[in-house]
Amino acid sequence: MPRPHLTALALLLAAPAVRAGDGVDFFESNVRPVLVEHCHKCHSAAKVKGGLRLDTPDGIRAGGDSGPVVAARDAASLLLKAVVYAADAPAMPPAGKLPAKVIADLKTWVELGAPLPADVPAVVKQVADPTAGRDHWAFRPAHECPAPAVSRPDWPAGKLDRFVLHTLDAQGLAPAPPAVRRTLVRRLYFDLIGLPPTVVQAEAFAADTRPDAVPRLVDELLASPRFGEKWARHWLDVARYAEDNPTSESTCQPPRFPHLYRDWVIGAFNTDLPYPDFVRRQLAADLMPGLPPTELAALGFLGLAPVYHKEPKLSKEVIAGILADEWDERLDAITRGFLGLTVACARCHDHKFDPVSQADYTALAGVLANTQLTERPLADDPAAAAAVAVVRPHLLDLEQRLGYAREMRATAKKEKADPAPFEKQVTELEAAVTAAKADAARLFSGPTANGVRDAGTWVDGTDPAWTRIDYRPAEFRDLPVFARGDATKPGAVTLRRFLPVLSAGEPKPLRTGSGRRELAECIVTDAGGLSGRVFVNRVWGWLFGRGLVATPSNFGRLGDAPSHPDLLDDLTARFLANGASPKWLVREIVLSATYQQAGRNDESVRCDPANRWLGRAAVKRLEAEGWRDAMLAVSGRLDLTAGGPSDDLDRKTTRRTVYGKVSRQRPPDVHRLFDLPDPKSHGERREPTITPTQQLYFLNSPFVRDSAAALAKQVAGDDDPVRELYSRVLLREPTAEEEAAAQRLVGDEPAWELLAQVLLASSEFLFLN
Amino acid sequence: MPEPIIPRRAFLGQLGGSVGLLGLSSYLGGALAAETAPMPRFAPKAKRVIFLFMAGGPSHLDLFDPKPALARYAGQRPAAADLRTERVTGGVLASPFAFQPGGTCGTPISDLLPKLRERADDLCVIRSMHAVNPNHSPAASFLATGRIDSAHPGVGAWVSYGLGTENQNLPGFVSLGAGFGQAGFERSAYLPGQHQATRVGTKDLDPEKMIRHLRNPALDPVRQREQLDALQSLNRGYAAANGHDPQLETRVKAMETAFRMQAAAGDAFDIRREPQPVRDAYGPGEFAAGCLLARRLVERGVRFVQLSLGGWDHHAKINSELKKLCGVIDQPTAALLADLRQRGLLDDTLVVWGGEFGRTPVSENGDGRDHNHFGFTVFLAGGGVKGGHVHGATDDLGFKAVEGRVSVHDLHATVLHLLGLDHERLTYRHSGRDFRLTDVHGRVVTEVLA
Repeated sequence: MPRPHLTALALLLAAPAVRAGDGVDFFESNVRPVLVEHCHKCHSAAKVKGGLRLDTPDGIRAGGDSGPVVAARDAASLLLKAVVYAADAPAMPPAGKLPAKVIADLKTWVELGAPLPADVPAVVKQVADPTAGRDHWAFRPAHECPAPAVSRPDWPAGKLDRFVLHTLDAQGLAPAPPAVRRTLVRRLYFDLIGLPPTVVQAEAFAADTRPDAVPRLVDELLASPRFGEKWARHWLDVARYAEDNPTSESTCQPPRFPHLYRDWVIGAFNTDLPYPDFVRRQLAADLMPGLPPTELAALGFLGLAPVYHKEPKLSKEVIAGILADEWDERLDAITRGFLGLTVACARCHDHKFDPVSQADYTALAGVLANTQLTERPLADDPAAAAAVAVVRPHLLDLEQRLGYAREMRATAKKEKADPAPFEKQVTELEAAVTAAKADAARLFSGPTANGVRDAGTWVDGTDPAWTRIDYRPAEFRDLPVFARGDATKPGAVTLRRFLPVLSAGEPKPLRTGSGRRELAECIVTDAGGLSGRVFVNRVWGWLFGRGLVATPSNFGRLGDAPSHPDLLDDLTARFLANGASPKWLVREIVLSATYQQAGRNDESVRCDPANRWLGRAAVKRLEAEGWRDAMLAVSGRLDLTAGGPSDDLDRKTTRRTVYGKVSRQRPPDVHRLFDLPDPKSHGERREPTITPTQQLYFLNSPFVRDSAAALAKQVAGDDDPVRELYSRVLLREPTAEEEAAAQRLVGDEPAWELLAQVLLASSEFLFLN
Repeated sequence: MPEPIIPRRAFLGQLGGSVGLLGLSSYLGGALAAETAPMPRFAPKAKRVIFLFMAGGPSHLDLFDPKPALARYAGQRPAAADLRTERVTGGVLASPFAFQPGGTCGTPISDLLPKLRERADDLCVIRSMHAVNPNHSPAASFLATGRIDSAHPGVGAWVSYGLGTENQNLPGFVSLGAGFGQAGFERSAYLPGQHQATRVGTKDLDPEKMIRHLRNPALDPVRQREQLDALQSLNRGYAAANGHDPQLETRVKAMETAFRMQAAAGDAFDIRREPQPVRDAYGPGEFAAGCLLARRLVERGVRFVQLSLGGWDHHAKINSELKKLCGVIDQPTAALLADLRQRGLLDDTLVVWGGEFGRTPVSENGDGRDHNHFGFTVFLAGGGVKGGHVHGATDDLGFKAVEGRVSVHDLHATVLHLLGLDHERLTYRHSGRDFRLTDVHGRVVTEVLA
């Protein structure tokens, strides 16, 4: 009985053979970009010199006035003669000879039979007019605005207050009075360092009558290392930071050093890294000469992106689709995260609302198609970096092959076929794995982060039984537009470049290596107004609970219009003028009269329930990190050990919540119940939900009960435990009524933990006003 | 408690982005629910769903899709068998299991599922399912969410978002078991967090051990009520002092609900309270407990119950292993259908049974079957579907769906339709556009509607 399947198996590890379809791929990746770049200027729809068009397969087949331009497998094809400047052909391109590598590719293509795809247009439709969308408010440069006239010149403390008051005036509203000291000190502590003040700190501030008491406190908090721990967590939502992948098969095992990125972000906020550098380093620290190698940890923004399993036994098309999905996610994180633009909406078709075409999408996605996720030694050692990027993936590949060969050997035995070929493979692969492990053991063993490097990414389907991803560190590619986003339907290749709508003139090319460095530069220069506004608005939202633009990652036409456009513009311009210092920005905002208002409970609330016009302080629920850290702090359990590998938040860890493991697979209770954005993709903002299962957590969870017990133990010996508990947790004294109720609750043999838990679970503790 | 001074519309507007409008009704009570049902609806045929997810990919060829050609081609490799699956496969593997017609409809079902076969008149067997990916994780994600990249909400979360719960003391979406791929079904992703499944273990039958944080072991209910009263008094005072801010008012209500949930869940999740004959009908074991629990929950108004059972990934020794696993599901699944029917619940409860894909007609490892996403079987029962019905067909070998093909998106569209939801209009604005369970696909399979 024939067993063709086993014959096919024998091919598994044999030398790669070129399949018919691959010639077209070769054309798309190695030939078409050359034609686009060097030939279309004179030989395309725009201009048909010599009667020759090289922008369509038909045009290439037809040739021009001088006859056919290529013939299959004919080394004397006119094209090949032209590019080597042969005597009997026109020297093309006239501007200068193509690089030898490119000429070799053209030869290879002709040798392959000069295969061409079905006729698809080489130039995709551009959005009607790339400049048309530039007048959208978000795309204009940010500039300082004159401070408007206001009804109460004594109210504003800073320039931004004048914009706020001007708008309140226009709405017929008035600002609230300033918050009392006890409220303000709690607000400042939580907003700036994410921890509550102690009673002593709160009282000291309340008693500080110096006129600059508030700026002094603000400066003190900004200088605290706790500031970075609080603010990094905001950014980690944006960066969809996590320490594992959605699943964990062989090709998507958890990254080994994720915390280095988290610690880098904390350090960046603590050292007040200017925002443009913050952007540049996260996208391209490896391409910026002169940086200390430890800064490579910044690359975790891309290096910790979610990775999905790419089973080598799947077809080339399926693997290409998964890769395209991953590039899409990364592009989405970059464009929504830094630019507040939903560029990923243009993956399958031109953006329906914003001036972003599918070609624009493709031109940016190409940057990710040349960016390989890899571990990076934090050392100035290019050889070590190159070795790490190659050896470990190679070992994984060999291990997978070995596993498969063993499987095959077993199948052959069961099917009573000859297992000998597989025995041989197993033996060979075992030796190869041993050798590769030895290589891996010799790799750089110092501090290593999860980052990226430049490498063109192809899917190698030459072996039909073993689809590989082929990273080429010295070779880069531009992507074809995929019809309806389908990676199996490539259309015209689009050269990597920045978004036209955010470029003053011609969009800058992003073609040095991957183009990441140029992309980062475009984000902070060409699109500096937009990226600055987006960051300023995020910071505003992190402090007020709501941005001036309520859709912080969508500044496009479907996004929310800014409530205070001049304020956003002015603050952005001044932020950029002040060194784009995040601490300057935070200070500027929290020292404003707007920020320091009290809450209120009157008619104005009815007029502006969402507090869009900023006529009061809104009540904010503390984020998970805030209340968990606060419970640890007031119960005397907080461990302030900073940095390093993460703790499991479902176990008894008492470090700050920012040091808890973030998982895409098994989020711990506090993340799952309290609104950590799903870190499988960019987190636009926290949605503070209020659900019964959260309340079960406050009533019954071991964490809350342990906190209550620890707190109770601390006050049990005190003269007046009720007062002590109120003062520690709520920073105030109980009312007489509360005191009586507390005594009734704890009973004769006082169960102080009952009261401690009531206070820890109280809204007064969990909300900020 | 004084009336909130914020008018209800403003209140809802403010909560729109935070607490989430649709699910709000799940714990704010009926008056509000009427105002918060914006989804265009058909008259629903089903009010709730029990989704039995058979993780790993059960073999349709040995259970629901008899193929005489398998015996004819046994050991051979006809051209139609050359579809690319996850692993390398051998010749055609015949099924050793006989099929018999079941019920009055005569739908053939394998001897591996004799009790379920007796319920054949309840079943709508879709033999023409197809999916897109032959690996477990992406395929399970696809069945759960309509996407392979596990960043999207599961079908249960969409239903919870669209309809809320019927019982304000219980979660609207409960996930039982902890089988592979369950996480995808539980996910709310970008939908508001309250639509995430409440995961409940079924290893232990004590509700306090099944649901996290359901009970405070250090406190008896009377003392806890006293503690809660003190807490609520503090929280009401704080809400009043802050202008009855809706978040603060909502928290007071949510806290009360949580307290009541402790008792309600203690009852709902405790299958030990079932009469012995009922427990006997479902039989022993964790899956049986899950089925019985699923019935208790839908009976009490839980909208969506997800129950997973792994172990269907029979790459080897399929004949013996499949027999064991069918022994695990046969009696409880049949008992669940009979029990729902007997209580009148099957009329408006939809039961969905199936895995992320089926298995190949060709062998793997000599005595196993590989993953097959080209064609497989799912069955529906109850809630508005035709009973005793077979829809669609695979090719002669049972490899590829060829007649009346039903994609996973089509299945999702149909489930939503039965619940009165239009899959094209049940959307959520995220990341600059409106997302759907069915992405840009999906067709309601009207052929299976009763």
